[in-house]
Amino acid sequence: MTAAGGPRIAALNEAAEAEGLKPGGSLADARAQAQSLQVRTVDPVADSAALRRLALWATRYTPTASPWSEENGADGFFLDIEGAAHLFGGEEMLIADLASRLQQNFSLPARLAVAATPGTAWALSRFHAAPLTVLPSGEEAAALAPLPVEALRLSAETCTALRRLGFKSVGALLDQPRAPFAARFPTEFLRRIDQALGRVDEPLVPIVAPPVYHSLRYLLEPIFTQEAVVALAGRLMHALVHVLTRDDVGARALRLSLYRVDGAVETIDIGLTLPTRSVSHIARLLELKLEALAAMQDAGFGFEAVGLAVTRAEPMPARQTEFNVDRHPEMLAPNANLEERRPGLASFAGHLGWPPQDDDDVERCAALIDALRQRLGPHSVLQFEAVASHIPERAEILSPVDGEAFQSPSSARKRSTAKSRRVESSGTNGEERASHDEASEQTTRPLLLLPRAEPTEVTALVPDGPPRRFCWRGVTYEVAGAQGPERIASEWWRLRTPHSSAHSRGSGNPAVNLEENLGSQQALTRDYYLVEDAHGHRFWLYREGLYERETTAARWFVHGLFA
Amino acid sequence: MTQPSALSVIRNRAAVAEELRRLLPRLEEDFRAAKTLPLGLSVIDRHLPRGGLPCGALHEIVPETHGATPAAFGFIAALLIRLSTPALWGEVGIAACSPPPYGEGSGVGVGRLDAGLDALLQPHDPPPFSPPHGGREKGKLFFVMPRYVRSPGRLHGHGLSALGLDPARVILVETAHRKDTLWAMEEALRSRVPQAVAGMIDKLDLKLSQRLQLAAADAGRPLLLLRPAPTLESSATTTRWRIGTATAARDRFGLIARARWHLTLERCRNGRPGEWMVEYDHVAHRFSLAAALADPALSRGAGEEAFRKTRRA
Repeated sequence: MTAAGGPRIAALNEAAEAEGLKPGGSLADARAQAQSLQVRTVDPVADSAALRRLALWATRYTPTASPWSEENGADGFFLDIEGAAHLFGGEEMLIADLASRLQQNFSLPARLAVAATPGTAWALSRFHAAPLTVLPSGEEAAALAPLPVEALRLSAETCTALRRLGFKSVGALLDQPRAPFAARFPTEFLRRIDQALGRVDEPLVPIVAPPVYHSLRYLLEPIFTQEAVVALAGRLMHALVHVLTRDDVGARALRLSLYRVDGAVETIDIGLTLPTRSVSHIARLLELKLEALAAMQDAGFGFEAVGLAVTRAEPMPARQTEFNVDRHPEMLAPNANLEERRPGLASFAGHLGWPPQDDDDVERCAALIDALRQRLGPHSVLQFEAVASHIPERAEILSPVDGEAFQSPSSARKRSTAKSRRVESSGTNGEERASHDEASEQTTRPLLLLPRAEPTEVTALVPDGPPRRFCWRGVTYEVAGAQGPERIASEWWRLRTPHSSAHSRGSGNPAVNLEENLGSQQALTRDYYLVEDAHGHRFWLYREGLYERETTAARWFVHGLFA
Repeated sequence: MTQPSALSVIRNRAAVAEELRRLLPRLEEDFRAAKTLPLGLSVIDRHLPRGGLPCGALHEIVPETHGATPAAFGFIAALLIRLSTPALWGEVGIAACSPPPYGEGSGVGVGRLDAGLDALLQPHDPPPFSPPHGGREKGKLFFVMPRYVRSPGRLHGHGLSALGLDPARVILVETAHRKDTLWAMEEALRSRVPQAVAGMIDKLDLKLSQRLQLAAADAGRPLLLLRPAPTLESSATTTRWRIGTATAARDRFGLIARARWHLTLERCRNGRPGEWMVEYDHVAHRFSLAAALADPALSRGAGEEAFRKTRRA
């Protein structure tokens, strides 16, 4: 948590509390107090997501679960157990069960309270001595009276003002006339009192579970063959299509579960480049996956049930499709080879030479990439991505093709700007993206880049001159002409030690890390030469280190090959 | 005597040629509808069936030595660039009636006639400064790169960009086995998504090459296949190019201006083999003849000469 005067402590674990640290204290003080302090930056987004998941889990007790908003502290949730408590043997049994499950499943020590109003339950769970409290209805005022004023969920300013006025506990406030308070404090103050005592309703916002897209089929006779599994999966997907269409979403990831007769379950995960609702496409991907896995070998006595679940759904707005009879058979038919041999389509293939890049093509491209990925592995279909760096090996990364990459060519610019914006917002560790156009204008870059520069023995006339002869991979090349140098300095803002980032992330002892980094050597300046030998082989060589300024024994490397 | 009008002779020959052109390939297969990609260099295009590289076909590119592999990559990139720039495409109609491959310079008269035919019927070279980026942001190009084949390096996007190919259009597919490599190529072709598929393979027998050729023909997309250096065995490929290195063309400051390759058209179905020294201009996306029939050593550092040779072409 960052605030004026340096980072502050947002939350602590038990060990830290035992050291005597307090939330809100400054990090520097805490470091001085506890030597082996481990620090993580607070992430409110992840916290609220985790709380949401926990609240969803808690819907096993009652359908109405409401995670606490920011003003409630955002560290717990309300459960409306009206009419649900008897299912667990009463309110005491319910919260005992809840506490033990939280401890067992999530190792979360919980403070729970049951009361007639959310406000009182909140106050008791926070400030009551016992971790588990059940308050009979009608005793709110009496139970609240000994608690401090913070138990009313007031803002920090209001609490401070009340304490200055001498009101330490809730009981002192309840007896006072309302009018002076209404004049001096925000309306929030009286509303909170009324809510705690049940004079005003406090509506809860129940959490809505995300829709579950899942279909399951039990079989009378177990199935064995791959064809049967694929056909059945196709039927399951067909059942899901209606639901997906209704919600305007498409599947980005699917999981097929095969329940074997002997009780074992096999799962097959499928990822897609673009959201889809196409039955045939998914059936084909499954087929490829099953072929690659050869899962059929351990089918045992067969599968008695098959389930298909959409594990990741993404919005997929309806769009107008082109009424083009010729194109659809090849797009929809999973094995279109026979169709393609039709003479009508063969002539159409010539006509297809330059199809406009419309949604249809985007979809087919995504389908192809999905298919390749299913068989070859998730990191086998790659695209070039330029990075804003002038160090050649850093200037580009190969990243798996994502769905945005070929959405539509006209939005390519928009996409790149959006991407860079996202990188900026995501934090400091993201590399700035660049485009190949900007980067490689008026520069010579080799067609083939060696994965890592290979050292070479070079003979040069002068130490800082172009090479005359060099030996690489056991062959000696006589240099007929050299072009350069192109001087590329190291990125001084990047420290050379590859582990530095890992160390500082661990943040065990940052001060020492910093010293190490300063002591480490900076990367050396490189002089790149485009070198051609007498036979026309063109190389990209560089000399590492400026002669007599950075080093006296410059080393040479081969870094790339030109066409 | 009445002069035998050159025009009528031309028409006769053109008619005969057209007749032959129509009959000959029909014996093998029907690829009248298929497109062809002219290299934009009439000297080479004359050797190719119907004035260009057939589009729905397998083309093998073999480096002369292992050291020429980057040059072979460069040639593939150049073909991909020309392929994806529609402005550089010859009209199918004109390309379809290019003259039959007669011997060059077999007689003065014929030679003149050939020249006349050339002027009339050849797909014209595109103007040297045709907008090279007219065909940008078109379909994808798939490059199937086997991880297990020893390659001198990996493709560099900035290098592709320097040659004139937009790296955003290239999708690399990495494979771990030969079986996967072949499957990926065939899958990409059959889907008809990419405009062209390029790839590398270590070994290929006749049967597999037939299969790839069929896949390319069905899809109407070219498959450019880079094979390792001493590839001598027969295959069902439509063309086989052997690429050798050559010293680059230099500008008047002695800097490398254009890459130069020694091209050998070793096999060509319905065409003739040939041998040329070409240079590739990455700005205009254009091949030109560097030093035809000359010793490669002569062309070194001779910008003037290259210019003369280009004009001759």
